[in-house]
Amino acid sequence: MNAIYKKYRREWSVLIALFVTIIVFSILEHSYLSTTNIATIITQAVTYGLMGIGMTCVIITGGIDLSVGSVLALVACAGAQMAKAGVPIPLWIILCLGLGFLLGAINGVLVGVMKLQPFVATMGTMQVYRGIGYVVTGGFPVLNVPREYRNVFNFKITSVFTFSVVVFFVFAIIITFVLKKMKIGTYAYAVGGNEDAARLSGVRVERTKVLLYGIGMLGTTLAALVIIGRLGTGDPSTGQGYELDAIAAAAIGGTSMAGGRGNVFGTVIGAVLFSALKVGLVVLGVDTFYQFIVTGLVIIVAAYIEIVQGNMLMKQKK
Amino acid sequence: MDKFIEFEHIVKTFPGQKALDDVSFSIRKGEIHAIIGENGAGKSTLLNILHGVFPATSGEIRIEGKPAKFSNIADAIDFGIAKVHQEIVSIPDMTVAENMFMGKEPGRFGIIDKQKMNADTAELLKRLNCDFRPTDRMGDLSAGQKQMIAIAKALEVNAQVISFDEPTASLSDKEVETLFGIMHELKNAGITILYISHKMNEIFRMCDRSTVLRDGKFIRTIEMDKTTRDEVVQAMVGRDISLFAKRTMPCQKRGSTPVLQVKNLSGGMFKNVSFDLYPGEILGFFGLVGAGRTEVMRAIFGADPRTSGQVFLNGKEIHCKLPNDAIKQGIALISENRKEEGIMPNFNNMDNMALASMEKYMSGFVINSAKKNANAKDKGTQVGLKPNDPEFMTVSLSGGNAQKVILARWMSTDASVMIFDEPTKGIDIGAKSEIYLLMEKMAEKGIAIIMVSSELTEIMGMSDRILVMREGEISGELMKEEFSEERILNYTVEEDV
Repeated sequence: MNAIYKKYRREWSVLIALFVTIIVFSILEHSYLSTTNIATIITQAVTYGLMGIGMTCVIITGGIDLSVGSVLALVACAGAQMAKAGVPIPLWIILCLGLGFLLGAINGVLVGVMKLQPFVATMGTMQVYRGIGYVVTGGFPVLNVPREYRNVFNFKITSVFTFSVVVFFVFAIIITFVLKKMKIGTYAYAVGGNEDAARLSGVRVERTKVLLYGIGMLGTTLAALVIIGRLGTGDPSTGQGYELDAIAAAAIGGTSMAGGRGNVFGTVIGAVLFSALKVGLVVLGVDTFYQFIVTGLVIIVAAYIEIVQGNMLMKQKK
Repeated sequence: MDKFIEFEHIVKTFPGQKALDDVSFSIRKGEIHAIIGENGAGKSTLLNILHGVFPATSGEIRIEGKPAKFSNIADAIDFGIAKVHQEIVSIPDMTVAENMFMGKEPGRFGIIDKQKMNADTAELLKRLNCDFRPTDRMGDLSAGQKQMIAIAKALEVNAQVISFDEPTASLSDKEVETLFGIMHELKNAGITILYISHKMNEIFRMCDRSTVLRDGKFIRTIEMDKTTRDEVVQAMVGRDISLFAKRTMPCQKRGSTPVLQVKNLSGGMFKNVSFDLYPGEILGFFGLVGAGRTEVMRAIFGADPRTSGQVFLNGKEIHCKLPNDAIKQGIALISENRKEEGIMPNFNNMDNMALASMEKYMSGFVINSAKKNANAKDKGTQVGLKPNDPEFMTVSLSGGNAQKVILARWMSTDASVMIFDEPTKGIDIGAKSEIYLLMEKMAEKGIAIIMVSSELTEIMGMSDRILVMREGEISGELMKEEFSEERILNYTVEEDV
């Protein structure tokens, strides 16, 4: 037990922060834990979480992916159009995931093979993907996605949960498995930890990056399919700024922006915490302007705790 | 002045560890005093306390009888105590002069007097016989040249006490000579020098006395002209290593078929390199820093591209374009830059050891942690890792132990050709002798070993055969019976014809 505590010290502190947040908000405003609010928290957490898990994959390799918001829109539009065209559902899912993986892998090629800086490369594709989304839709939302497609990822299980929560957890488990139990996961941590050493130890650095950017984008793709399910539309202007929410979820969850450190569990809790906080501020009736300030401060504090805890860990080892 | 600097009952504890345990000794004014001991003995900790990097837990340091307690490095420098760092931290895109005067640029109102800065730097560089200019880009300098800048930095503050932490680790022989000249000059000017080094011959040559630390405890202070090498080594390790850097089981397999043949290999920094490597032999590669030895090895290993030439492994031509190809063929390269090109800072010992041989621990497409763990325990025992804990973070280990982890990583690949690039750089004598023994055991098993080294004792003691490189070409080959310092060094320099 003690060993588990030590290994996941960082995650425990995020978990505690989550409980504190929930308790504080529910004391301040009793309606915070109403069914509607919980549903909203979960809905948002699923989006942040799916995208955040993908972002975690990329950040672990020492990169960043700013294009996820644009991909969310592009996949949502393409998915909505395919659904309306009547593509069989299994094929529809495969095509959407394939498209997402491809868009992510393109980022991976730019970063891994062509050696562009991740920030610049994905800032570029952020614009390109957004543009493609507008081009294929003519700038208009794709409306009226048929019910059977919407239900695939979003049918209601109870009044609070939809199937998207299951998708979220299954994806979290799969990516945890990939990162911790598969060779590619070890290589991802190695590339983020020390790229030169990884290459000299026989790690195919380029391939690792391409795969991780691709795999990471599957999270955004699933988020897009959940959004189609929830709203029944694919909107080419959706998802703007979501890349920052995804990064925030990962950062709050203890993923190091320098690469090589972080895990899915932390990001999942980070996403729920981020969502609980945002919804809580709305429920309390905090002015929108102040909401920005509070969420920003929370990210900064979380990052600072990461540093302090890291230092404490180093000191203990010496 | 017999007691210029006095260390009185210095204790330093870090959480869970006593780094220094009641250390008391004194240093005379104007002497060159070595502080020696294995890695983790507490040498650097002691210096850090003297330089105000962190305070002692208890005890005090007195200088000329007065308590000297500095709250930071700048404080100590103001007092006249400067340090030449082991690895200089520099900004590659700035010039030499800018790096040297960083934080104390001459000039007024925030405008830097570049002319004065460059002139002052030029003067210092001249004093150190450096062949580069103040306006050169820092990033273009070699490791040795950077080290000279660290030395220049310490000279620049006119200190009365200067400490050197492994100053020669990255210097060429010529640069070492210059440094030693400077140290003599400083000594004659009455400056007291503290000297940390692992190199015995340097300590005997340069130092008046040496203080031995072991496991954070003071062992003894030795007058260098009244002692022997063996006595010093024994004081350091607390046990007798008479077999230090001696090939005890010389290779008997000459004349068999070579495992690795390199023919007219050329690349960025070397040309027409040809040699054969036989199973079970240790082939030494000697040369000055920059002679192209590392570059040849990297090209064979696929870490750098080659422009022409051929490499044959067991008679079959191979062309490794990536280290991954070479590893699959059974070639391993232990890089000289353990920190930059070896250790995964975010991995524990188990994962660090497994990284180059992941295929071995797979059950289908799932990593079998039990296999990985077993491998780590097994290899950890073989290399004598302390503590042999698969979960321990490798970055937290001392240099010698970290090197053992890297060694274990490459032993795990079951390579038939092992290339060691400066395998004992910056590690203590105890670990060195263990690594030599491991190399011998590998050779005995029939593994062919290349050892790139800049240490003459090491290369002469361990090699069955030595190749010397000069300016990117092989300039000489020496069989075991022909080994002599003079002959080896002759090959490293241009002959006057």
